[in-house]
Amino acid sequence: MTFYLFDRSFYIASDVLLAYITVILSGAALFYLITKANKWPTIKKYVTTTHHRKIGVLYLLSATLFFIRAGIEALIIRIQLAVPENDWWVFQGDKFNEAFTTHGTIMIFFVAMPLLIGLMNVAVPLQIGARDMAFPYMNAVSFWLFLAGAILVNMSFFMTASPNAGWTAYAPLSVSTYTPEAGNDYYVFGLQVSGIGTILAAINMIVTIVRHRAPGMKLTRMPLFPWSTLITSFLILIAFPVLTIALYILMFDRMFGTQFFTGEAGSPIYWQHLFWIFGHPEVYIIILPAFGIFSDVISTFSKKRVFGYTSMVIALAIIGLLGFMVWVHHMFTVGLGPLVNTFFAITTMLIAVPTGIKIFNWLFTMRKGLIRFTTPMLFSLGFIPTFVVGGVTGVMLSVAAADMQYHDSYFVVAHFHYTMIGGTVLGAFAGIYYWFPKMFGIKLKDTLGKWHFWLFVIGFHITFFPMHLAGLNGMPRRVYTYLPKDDVFIYNFVSTIGAFLMGLGTLAFIWNIYQSFKKPDYTGNDPWDGRTLEWSVPSPAPEHPFQPMPLVKTIDPLWEAKRNRGGKLPEAESARSAPIDVTSWQPIGLAGMMMVFSLAFIYHQTWLQIIAGIGVLSFFVIRNLTDEHVRVTREEENE
Amino acid sequence: MRKIYMILSSVLLILSGCNLRVLDPKSQTAKDQSFLVQFSFALMMIVFATVIVLFVWFVWKYRQTEENKHKIPEDEKGNRLFEITWTVLPIILLAVLAVPTIKITYEISASSSATPPNAVHIDVTAQQFSWTFEYQNGVVQTSELVLPKDRPVVFHLNSDDVIHSFWVPKLGGKKDVIPGKERRLILTPDEVGTYQGKCAEFCGKDHALMRFETIVKTQEDYKQWLQKMKQKIE
Ligand code: HEM
Ligand SMILES: [Cu+2]
Ligand SMILES: [Cu+2]
Repeated sequence: MTFYLFDRSFYIASDVLLAYITVILSGAALFYLITKANKWPTIKKYVTTTHHRKIGVLYLLSATLFFIRAGIEALIIRIQLAVPENDWWVFQGDKFNEAFTTHGTIMIFFVAMPLLIGLMNVAVPLQIGARDMAFPYMNAVSFWLFLAGAILVNMSFFMTASPNAGWTAYAPLSVSTYTPEAGNDYYVFGLQVSGIGTILAAINMIVTIVRHRAPGMKLTRMPLFPWSTLITSFLILIAFPVLTIALYILMFDRMFGTQFFTGEAGSPIYWQHLFWIFGHPEVYIIILPAFGIFSDVISTFSKKRVFGYTSMVIALAIIGLLGFMVWVHHMFTVGLGPLVNTFFAITTMLIAVPTGIKIFNWLFTMRKGLIRFTTPMLFSLGFIPTFVVGGVTGVMLSVAAADMQYHDSYFVVAHFHYTMIGGTVLGAFAGIYYWFPKMFGIKLKDTLGKWHFWLFVIGFHITFFPMHLAGLNGMPRRVYTYLPKDDVFIYNFVSTIGAFLMGLGTLAFIWNIYQSFKKPDYTGNDPWDGRTLEWSVPSPAPEHPFQPMPLVKTIDPLWEAKRNRGGKLPEAESARSAPIDVTSWQPIGLAGMMMVFSLAFIYHQTWLQIIAGIGVLSFFVIRNLTDEHVRVTREEENE
Repeated sequence: MRKIYMILSSVLLILSGCNLRVLDPKSQTAKDQSFLVQFSFALMMIVFATVIVLFVWFVWKYRQTEENKHKIPEDEKGNRLFEITWTVLPIILLAVLAVPTIKITYEISASSSATPPNAVHIDVTAQQFSWTFEYQNGVVQTSELVLPKDRPVVFHLNSDDVIHSFWVPKLGGKKDVIPGKERRLILTPDEVGTYQGKCAEFCGKDHALMRFETIVKTQEDYKQWLQKMKQKIE
């Protein structure tokens, strides 16, 4: 769209223009509503908080926002592909490529990750009887760095420079020879900055779980969600630095003229190895916590402890280990030779074994139980058959020779959405419905929850099942059009209809949140007849939840207490030292400075790089000078 | 009634997967791959069916009703025997799948490293966003690939810019085309016909349009065609 102002003509793509208008209008409306409801103090409280529950809520809130954005992109993709040779709006060529690139990138890094990390923040400390995360200040830094990275990737669209090399950013397409625009720089810096946040979050989780469990809660008595969090955090700690390095090298290739991924000495295959050594563990990073959620939810709503607890934990650990030994299954078509290909085919198949163990354990948890079809349980029940479809197609994909046909076709698109939506997203929804009372003291509405579930899950299968067939009929992924003679019209058309059903389901979810706050159903400590510690504290969880500190003697302490002790948990004599809560503007300041720093690189402004770099470093100094431990010790001495 | 029947039959047609290109192979390689697809699918259906049966059975049988609402299920930690069963059986199932996987993966790779004596050699060059095919006698074709029936064809795959991937679903594949190093793929078409070829690795703006037509001719026709093209350039 071209328009004229002061005798000059300006060009702005109509989709970007529309996005600007939408964002500005809704921003203004939001500002008005917040001011009218006098909510600025609440916002300030959240922005400066270091409390695990509030940070968890912030993660979940931003994940939901980004889910809406990337979801809109999914609908755009589906509309453009609804009929052959479609010419819808601007979404052909680069615009389409940008849409699926940011869809994939945002969904993985800024939806799946924060949904799970958010739920960990809310639930894990309460489940293990900790007062807060081990490092509350660092927890806030993690969140704000994550958000800074997310904003970078999201703002690229508004700067008409979206990343456009796929979420995998394969070199040499992603180096500046072929994509000189700023788009892939946003990708590099966005993921880099949020990646630091993720690594810090993982360290925090590990220390919290290792150091801050309630007295008596041995690792062998820990619920499965904290277990999966612990193992996931180790995966993050190993996998994310690989991404950091890969992005770092890519940055050098893009900005400083090195040739790691091109030219004589370099090779584009290096990028693929680095990316997938990170990338495959990443898909387990976003599925294992969901497994943990399902274990807790299924056990609660079957009124039984989880079947085969020990094998559940071992299975998680084995999946985590094997997850590092399968990355080449994304590279079967590169031509690394039969030995390499079959080795990685076998390791990939092996992962099916521990995954199968988990599925059967969940089924047998329900056996002889008493199943209540609450909304969180519905999502968990929807997960089992859906995820099994994704699992069996996963085994089919591991067959190296056959994968040469599936690879980069819609079959793969179907497969990974079955695992990521069927696993991660359904798991996150289950977790949100399940722990909502602990976040806000109210329950989400059950009827709307059921609408949400059925629309979303039915829509899901309608969207993604036909993609298997489109793939087998020779439809490559990442194409913006196809021909009538390709015979994939019917699959694509059905798929588009399904996508809109999923959209309706998501609207039902958002409406549900709105309604639940408008007409709140306040709940007590234990709305679901729960089994673990988090249900023994008030809803929403207070700042100092465990006073007195419970003494844990079984896997489901609260359940045992309700059966044998009239609901009272045994008390521990001494409590663990609690982390120190602070409120601080520093975390958001640091993240903001990191964003400026990144932008200075993206737009090659050396002077700004220097200033922002000094700015970032000075936050380290400030932090050292304002350490709350010093303050608290001094206060204690004065007493 | 007629209408319902028609809808049902078209749904069946969609589901049965007949005519799906990958499952309608026209070369030995693609046939092996198609076999693997179907074999692994069949094995996996055993797993899927087992899970679904247990799932429906348990969810139905153990749902909460008005009568049993206040019952507390018996505590149950696990069951060694069951757990061993669902560890060992999948391992056996996967072993069954692993055998043809290894065999066929080796066969496909091996056939790509040796060069059969009567092979046809074609230099394939991929560039954003088209394919060029160069024959041994100097004939150069764009976006149209002509192959002889029943003779092994050695594709020498090279890229001028980014990574592409060479894919003819009915003949098998695919093989990435990576700048800097030649890769090879050997296919032996065994039926005359016209098949779609596509770039399968995202390569930029018009990746979607980077297609080619593959025409398999009898050896006679192929020879004639090559000669005719040769004369054209001379
Ligand atoms: C909500 C409904 C969703 C729909 C309708 C949808 C649809 C699609 C479609 C059609 C593609 C293929 C684009 C192409 O190859 O041209 C795609 C790609 C992708 N989707 Fe989704 N998706 C949805 C949700 C999700 C979620 C929840 C995740 C992850 C948690 C996800 C992750 C991805 C990724 C990683 C890609 C690959 C992007 C790439 O090729 O670079 N999607 N999606
Ligand atoms: Cu993988
Ligand atoms: Cu391409």
